[in-house]
Amino acid sequence: MHAHELGEQYGDFAQQDHTLKFGMWVFLASEVLLFAALFALYAAYRTMYVDDFRAAIEHNTLAYGTVNMFVLLVSSFTVALSVWAVRHGRNGTAVALQLTTIALGIAFLVIKLFEYAEHFHERALPGRYYHMTELPTFGANRFFTMYWVMTGVHALHVTGGVCVVGWLVYRTATRHYTPEHYAGLEMGTMYWHLVDVIWIFLWPLLYLA
Amino acid sequence: MGAHKHVSGAAYVVTFVALLVLATVSLLLSMLHWPVWGTVVALVIAVVKALLVLFFFMHLVEQRFSNRLAVLVSILFVTLLVGLTSADVATRHTFAQRTEPSPNEAFYGR
Repeated sequence: MHAHELGEQYGDFAQQDHTLKFGMWVFLASEVLLFAALFALYAAYRTMYVDDFRAAIEHNTLAYGTVNMFVLLVSSFTVALSVWAVRHGRNGTAVALQLTTIALGIAFLVIKLFEYAEHFHERALPGRYYHMTELPTFGANRFFTMYWVMTGVHALHVTGGVCVVGWLVYRTATRHYTPEHYAGLEMGTMYWHLVDVIWIFLWPLLYLA
Repeated sequence: MGAHKHVSGAAYVVTFVALLVLATVSLLLSMLHWPVWGTVVALVIAVVKALLVLFFFMHLVEQRFSNRLAVLVSILFVTLLVGLTSADVATRHTFAQRTEPSPNEAFYGR
């Protein structure tokens, strides 16, 4: 389908844009279900090992997780502003904001790598590879197993999000998005916001005791 | 689009500042180390932050109810899944609540 062509099944552009965004919400809901399974498993283990989880959270790398919380909040703000810029016909500003978002996304991943290196050094590894001598408990083992799986799946989404925003940069720079038609841009930014929303919940669960 | 009112530039800034403040409050509260309520309060703050992102950054406030319904249904599913899974674990008596294997076998690998 060409840019801003009205699909024959739609009455007008408003209906088409609504349908596209509704489809995106349903897709994001399915992503939430993926994470919901991990949250449920986390909740089950935490209910079983209340004290071990508390000790493990207090031992976790709070500074890295907190810096990354703020990195993602800023990146969400910049990508949201890029939609605002396109709505006002300022695609150049929008591109700059999207590139900032990409830079922040990459910064998140780099910080995460340093954090993973620290966990690796401490042998706070998942499952049977867990050898952290400071917390020799089964509950701490479960906590760090969930930590690796949840942050790992999230980091994959950050990586995907960086690619999505990269695509938005291309489409915005080539003026594919105009103040009248930008449904694709909104859908792409919604994916990035999801990555932020997931971290909004991972942060208190994995770092704040 | 077009027919609905768009989120204003000022609304984006206010949302962003609110998110920063809430994250800071959450961080400071965690330093008090409240046993159970600390986690509850942190999660309540997280829900508020998520709703701010959904309604203003993701423009749910400008959209039709069907889109909010998709969000409501996912919140319901997450609540059911997390709530009932924890309730099951918390109330079941067919296994020991804290089964800690000896250090040598379970968590130091083989």
